Amino acid sequence: MDGSEKSTAESPAQDQEGMVESSMIETPHSDGVPVVPGEQILVAVLKDVTYLCHFFGAIAGKMIVTNYKLYFYNESDKDRDVTIEVPLCTITRVEKVGGANTASRAAEGKNPYGLKVFCKDLRVLSFVMRQENRQRRTLYEKLQEQCFPLSNKLQFFAFSFKEDFGDDGAGWSVYNSKAEYQRQGLPAEGWRLTKANFKYELCDTYPQLLAVPSPATDDDLKQVAQFRSRGRIPVLSWIHPESQASITRCAQPLCGISSKRSRDDERYVHLILEANPHAHKLLIFDARPQANAVANVARGGGYEKSEAYTTSELIFCDIHNIHVMRESLRKLQDTCLTAHPIDDKHWLSNLEQSQWLLHIKTILAAATKITHHVETAKASVLVHCSDGWDRTAQLTSLSMIMLDSYYRTLEGFEVLIEKEWLSFGHKFAQRLGHGDKNHSDSERSPVFLQFMDAVWQIMQQFPAAFEFNEFFLILILDHLYSCMFGTFLCNCDRERKKEELKKRTRSLWSLVHSHKEDYLNALYASAYSNHIILPAAAIRHLEFWTTYYGRWNPLMKMQEPVQQRHKQLLGIRDVLKKKVEELQAQLAEKQQKDRNSTLKAKPAES
Amino acid sequence: MEFSEHILTPKIEETRLEGPDISPVFGTTCLTGHHLIFYSHNKENKEYWILHRNVDSVEKRYSLDKNVLVLKCKDFKHYFLSIVKQEEANNVCNSIEILSNQTKSSYQYPFFFRPKFSIPEDGYDLFSVEKEFQSVSSKSDQWRLSNINITFDVCTSYPSQIIVPASITDQEIRKSAKFRHGGRFPVISYLHQNGRAIMRCGQPLTGNNNKRCKEDERLVNCVLGSNHRGYILDTRTLQSAQQARAKGGGFESEYNYPQWRKVHNSLQKCAVQQESFVRIVEACLDQSSSSEKWQSKLESSSWLSHVRDVLAAACLAAQCIDREGASLLVHGSDGMDSTLQVTSLAQVILDPDCRTIRGFLSLIDKEWIQAGHPFMDRCFHSVFSNQRIRSEGPSFTIFLDCVFQLLMQFPCSFEFSVQLLCELQNHAYASQFGTFLFNNEMERRNHKLRTKTISLWSYLLSEEALPTLINPVYQSKEGVIWPSVAPQSMHFWDALFLPKLDTSTTIRAFVNETLSEIGQLQNELLDLKQEVGNLEKLAADADGVNDVEE
Repeated sequence: MDGSEKSTAESPAQDQEGMVESSMIETPHSDGVPVVPGEQILVAVLKDVTYLCHFFGAIAGKMIVTNYKLYFYNESDKDRDVTIEVPLCTITRVEKVGGANTASRAAEGKNPYGLKVFCKDLRVLSFVMRQENRQRRTLYEKLQEQCFPLSNKLQFFAFSFKEDFGDDGAGWSVYNSKAEYQRQGLPAEGWRLTKANFKYELCDTYPQLLAVPSPATDDDLKQVAQFRSRGRIPVLSWIHPESQASITRCAQPLCGISSKRSRDDERYVHLILEANPHAHKLLIFDARPQANAVANVARGGGYEKSEAYTTSELIFCDIHNIHVMRESLRKLQDTCLTAHPIDDKHWLSNLEQSQWLLHIKTILAAATKITHHVETAKASVLVHCSDGWDRTAQLTSLSMIMLDSYYRTLEGFEVLIEKEWLSFGHKFAQRLGHGDKNHSDSERSPVFLQFMDAVWQIMQQFPAAFEFNEFFLILILDHLYSCMFGTFLCNCDRERKKEELKKRTRSLWSLVHSHKEDYLNALYASAYSNHIILPAAAIRHLEFWTTYYGRWNPLMKMQEPVQQRHKQLLGIRDVLKKKVEELQAQLAEKQQKDRNSTLKAKPAES
Repeated sequence: MEFSEHILTPKIEETRLEGPDISPVFGTTCLTGHHLIFYSHNKENKEYWILHRNVDSVEKRYSLDKNVLVLKCKDFKHYFLSIVKQEEANNVCNSIEILSNQTKSSYQYPFFFRPKFSIPEDGYDLFSVEKEFQSVSSKSDQWRLSNINITFDVCTSYPSQIIVPASITDQEIRKSAKFRHGGRFPVISYLHQNGRAIMRCGQPLTGNNNKRCKEDERLVNCVLGSNHRGYILDTRTLQSAQQARAKGGGFESEYNYPQWRKVHNSLQKCAVQQESFVRIVEACLDQSSSSEKWQSKLESSSWLSHVRDVLAAACLAAQCIDREGASLLVHGSDGMDSTLQVTSLAQVILDPDCRTIRGFLSLIDKEWIQAGHPFMDRCFHSVFSNQRIRSEGPSFTIFLDCVFQLLMQFPCSFEFSVQLLCELQNHAYASQFGTFLFNNEMERRNHKLRTKTISLWSYLLSEEALPTLINPVYQSKEGVIWPSVAPQSMHFWDALFLPKLDTSTTIRAFVNETLSEIGQLQNELLDLKQEVGNLEKLAADADGVNDVEE
């Protein structure tokens, strides 16, 4: 506001910057290419490679391929420093363009000879290279081999990555299911913890430790598992610390065409209701559109009919399946990468046609509805979709973020992902297609990305409610595909155990904690803790996440490093806090001294 | 008071009020000359005051059992007032319609408003042409302060004192003024660090015969110096500039102004922008099921494309100055709307001072209020009025929206937050302050605005308001900011158009809390700084005492 404020604000900031620089980790370089421990160069420098940028045209440079990434850099361009880094596992498809027979056309620049690289993070990169020494063939073959370790029976880079984050692998112990249940106050009246799934025999996609209604015995659980798709029985995700209202999750009941019923399941569902003294009705949120739920009956699935579940009310949330979502993202990608965005007068209606934000809205709307019922009506809620590992995870985790401020802290958010997504068997490997060359696999879907987008939307509406910033979300999304860390490998807890990921790979959270200050929100107000937040879920309140989807488009890129400013502000605060403490101590000491000296002086006077 | 003749029913019992920030409540409605006051009969006995001037239109929704008046306000809020007797409802409706359309200047509310907050400094003193002249003459000695317009006879829409080139006589200026639309002869708007200037004016009155004016040419050329070239940015397309000749207007021919290169832009007229303004608010208010078509509705309102066009024109202007090192003359037809949008925005882009709170308010003073943007005409009605658009237009709103876009793209470069922009928008349309009253300096002088009303700036800079307007991540920084003008970079200004429409009170409560949290963090920082200061002082004192003792 005034001069004095500015000058004090700047000096600690400079100190801060100095500190940051000296603490930066030195990365070993190889031919000017930064490599991480465990990374090896596979294809040595290719010269005279040209990157065809959508926006700036052709950029000449060099390319190198390691066992982790494809790396392109230009050397002599004074105007621009262009480096492109693509972790190999982020690549979903590599295509050769411009064959030898079209060499004459290639010379005209119409059909350039090179490679097109499609990435899971929405990038499509075109490289042009010389037609000599079988350069392209070597490169293409190496990429085909290294980008798809699963298809080629090779190891993921995560197993070669040897970075030491100096935390003794503490990233892996961020989530401890028992500790998290304890944090929620479990076991509590009405809820017990069970090891019925210790050997993954009850349900192979669930974690070992589960929270279930106390009166239900482990044998009951086995009976219920028979009637739920893939044995995914209703288990506790979250419990309200005061009202005991609960959020539970499961898969669809196996009713089938014959409208089968299961007394055990009905009784079990009723027990969930009974565990909550305030409620007389259990709300079952079926994440699917009603039509899809009905269609599932023919495939042996179904939904809870009111005749059978008399103490429940079924609500459909209209969230579409993984195929619709995949298609929506494809359209969004097309919209983002329009070649001439300046002329793109129809940006908004194109965005609308992708329906991406509409889907986000539907998900957020359902999650706010759940939150509202749990908080205001003290109702218990059971959430499921078909298998209970995609839409269900979106809804439970989003409602938990709204209800429990712990999940809005950096550590809490990590716990939330570990718990609701990883441990409860969201099939990361399959949904993302880790290392699989079958790029058109219909099992792939951006379910987790949608969740992250929804979190970002909530952050936009409550900028002071989250301890972390959007770059934390982006970092997670980048390493979702990179396969540098073991965190998002495999499909469920059981597989992860079998692969001994904790022993053989690094956790993404170790990286996060070693650079924590980069991911903190300076506007975070702890006064938000113990508050629920209810975002507005109308499309007009939603925004397009430019910082993520638009970051490859220089026209959409963030103009100012607000992240740096946040870091700086937090630095200033910490420096000041420390200063205040020091001075207070100093002052106290001085006052003590004065008191002593006057005490000494007094008798002398008398 | 004279208002009483328009108030047929001053007090009505058993009325019911509902609004975006009021859940339905019963109470008594009272009408005064300037306000509708609603005394609620609930536990808190809360009062709600609605300024008549803020009501854009009143709609009657009568049914058998209740008579509802919908008060559509200029800040886009809608209030629903239910009255039992139809006759009384009619009376209230008539009174509000008359009182909200009051044109007689001395009846305006700012002349009656007495502030409850303390005023540490008079906002009317924030900007003065003398101060501006000092700043200009510190950069260049080629300018002088002229009293040529002291009686407002040269140009009715210019202020009395004007900074003009030192080498041009008042006589020459008079001739140039006759050659320009509305007497708006070329004046300096901004002097950049590199010595290049932005000037603005009305269109030259060349007419079909290609008239010329030597004095005008000399006046325009003298900002260039000898060897420089400049750009003339005409905010109209070449075609509409040519058409303007038939009505006596026109544009500078390259033949008569050989040192200048002309650039045409295509900024829309007020009426077109007003239509788009109506459409975007309509889209925001539409809570129907088709709200899923939100983005295409937003697109078809064309609002963001108007904003983008203005921003692009301002970038072009800034580029001429900063990149090309050329001076610039900006005009459209009358030089009071698109011209001011371009010149003021270019300064926000070029000059970091304009991105501070005081700098920004001074800029609005200089480039909008003093420059004679006819606020009274443009903002008399907002988007709900059924009366035909005459001179209404959202020029100022579009300017604010452009600043909002810059703020979105450069979140650390502005000392103020979006809140300030929202405040300015709402006060431009209805206010208890005198700042945006009347069309020009002459009218304000005649009505003794400075002494009889309070400046909005006094309020905004008061201890009460200022903390809510500050951007917590601001970092003062030198240099030009170059925004992206791609359609993808344009944000919808939700804080202005939306939250007040939202009926969910929880959300709003939390939004407010967010703002206060931001303030708190800042206070924490300030407190800490102060604490350190105090302690340091104490420590120094203690040291001093010790030294003496020793």
